[in-house]
Amino acid sequence: MRLILAIVVCKILRRIGKLVGKGSSLPGQYALKICPDVLGQVQLPKHIIAVTGSNGKTSTVEMIAAVLRADGREVVYNAEGSNQIEGVTTLILTHCTLSGKMRGDVLLLESDERYARHSFRYFHPTHFVITNLYRDQLTRNGHSEWVYDAILPAVHPETTLVLNADDPLVACFARDHGPEKVKWFGMEECSISTREHHGVYNDGARCPVCKGRMEYSCYHYAHIGHYRCTRCGHQRPKPDFAVTAVDFNNGTMIIDDHITINLAFRSVYNVYNILAAWSVCSLCGVGERVMADVISSYILKNGRMVRFTLGQHQGTLLTSKHENSVAYDTNLRYIRENEKPCTVVVIVDAISRKYFTGETSWLWDIDFEQLNVPHVQRVFLCGKYVNDLAVRFDFTSLPAEKLVCHESIREAAEELKAAGDENLYVVTCFSDRDKFLSQTQRQQ
Amino acid sequence: MNWTILHLYPELMSLYGEYANVAVLRRLLEDLGDTVTVKTATFEDTPDFAGVDLVYMGAGTERSQKAVLEDLPRYSAALKKAAAKTTLLLFTGNAMETLGASVTDAGGKVWPGLHLAEFTTVETDRRTPQDVIAASALWEAPAVGFMNKCSVTSGVEKPLFSALSMGFGNDAAGGSEGYAAGNILATHITGPSLVKNPEFLRYVAMRLYEKRGAQLPPLPEDLPWRIHAQRAYEVTYAELSARLGK
Repeated sequence: MRLILAIVVCKILRRIGKLVGKGSSLPGQYALKICPDVLGQVQLPKHIIAVTGSNGKTSTVEMIAAVLRADGREVVYNAEGSNQIEGVTTLILTHCTLSGKMRGDVLLLESDERYARHSFRYFHPTHFVITNLYRDQLTRNGHSEWVYDAILPAVHPETTLVLNADDPLVACFARDHGPEKVKWFGMEECSISTREHHGVYNDGARCPVCKGRMEYSCYHYAHIGHYRCTRCGHQRPKPDFAVTAVDFNNGTMIIDDHITINLAFRSVYNVYNILAAWSVCSLCGVGERVMADVISSYILKNGRMVRFTLGQHQGTLLTSKHENSVAYDTNLRYIRENEKPCTVVVIVDAISRKYFTGETSWLWDIDFEQLNVPHVQRVFLCGKYVNDLAVRFDFTSLPAEKLVCHESIREAAEELKAAGDENLYVVTCFSDRDKFLSQTQRQQ
Repeated sequence: MNWTILHLYPELMSLYGEYANVAVLRRLLEDLGDTVTVKTATFEDTPDFAGVDLVYMGAGTERSQKAVLEDLPRYSAALKKAAAKTTLLLFTGNAMETLGASVTDAGGKVWPGLHLAEFTTVETDRRTPQDVIAASALWEAPAVGFMNKCSVTSGVEKPLFSALSMGFGNDAAGGSEGYAAGNILATHITGPSLVKNPEFLRYVAMRLYEKRGAQLPPLPEDLPWRIHAQRAYEVTYAELSARLGK
């Protein structure tokens, strides 16, 4: 009876919420009050896929949904990003019959890494994709080992883990998990790999298991690569699904030596997101042809890359999460590798749109040195924390005459609009990007 | 003058950009016309403290801190000897906890510390990450920063900061924070606190000069990085103070 009441209340509140534009957490919150173990009582689809990690969750989930739907599966997923237990509850119950049977063939969840253990208390995913773990929102997350410890209780023995073999910390999830229940994805050494580590810090320098010295035969980015601990032997497992070649010049990647995928966005992140989606869809029985066709024609819809014009400038906004140096580094690498003359705009005005902090230590983890290339003609620094940015840049080798500081984002945009026709790249976070885009003409 | 800074475990114990504390101190001293050598030491090294003016260690994960606590006894006698003479120790983040008598982890295991101070630390399974405003008797402007810890440190008799108007102190919200005695300066404040707090940086440089029986020369006022750092401090202090309703 409580189950039915919880479902009814959830559906009604969700419908009202949609009418008045409210979020998706509240209905689930009420449902959980009525029936705390409601998620243990409902009948869920055959496949339950969860995706967590520091970066790439949303993109990977969207790609998985596109592939599975193209394969004829009915997919239910939290497109609104409500990835804590209340939002997950709302999602499930609004897709349930009154008898508690959930519609759909696949339940697909983007799962907040810190709250996964709460979401999966009453049910567990059949497949749990863990993309990567690194320095991300440390003001909330503490650090990546803390996040690892938070995810670990959410890992059920019957769940098939789909893990990034190239991330030494993610690989630790397999240590106490049945080997038959672990599938690995990874990138072989290819055109984007380097022998040397690049970046301000190296979280792969020491082993996550024993803190011994790690050796890498190659790096793909940050601490993601081919590693082996010189003390305990913790090493990159052989992937079940592998990217075997990447060609950013022609915009292609090859999976398992024979499947060519066209890349709409030529970034190492995108390569890993595709590979993660490929791996889990393959494990769910989707054929290679369907996956390759869908992913090759897939356009990222998450709005993280926005094109605009400002005066005579053609611009691209690359959304980089504040407090996430790897996201910044990846976008700076993209700018560095596009060798056309450009001006780069970096904006830090509000560190988060969800909470307040004045913490700017993360700026010191970003490899702004990447912008010290001839084709980057100027770097505009903007926003309330312009002086934190400026002092950070004072500790790079970028010539001071290339730097332009504006606390006001509007004034920076006006100065850019008034002169020049070089390309613009804007690097900032969701919390700040509309403050700049509102000064531009956005392209569809 | 010639200075030598020894940065301990820079790979593991620089979790929140703490390497910048060494970089900014070096820059300040070089802008004063001095020569600075920065050495590093990690697990495979045997640090030589001879001629070292300042030993620095920053924050790490709880597991990294334990690895350091296991490693420190290899050379703790030499480190203590140096600290007893003229070497200044600046330990920030949870590196501060290694200076005390012990750290008890969340599982109850007790890890002996350097015992350069009597305080003890107990870790919990909850973090208290928050912005900080901290007043010190050693310099005028309140320090700003961030703290990202999951521990309570008890028995500090000589704190670096007398009171926090924002943040969790050694053992209580708003309480005193850090440790300052003899040649040791320590705080749980994470990140590049010397960059964020120009007066803290000036104080550390002043202490180094004092060790040589000299006075810190007037600092050049027209250096862009110092101007930016001072403005950044003022903005952060204003932002944090506004949260307090000041």
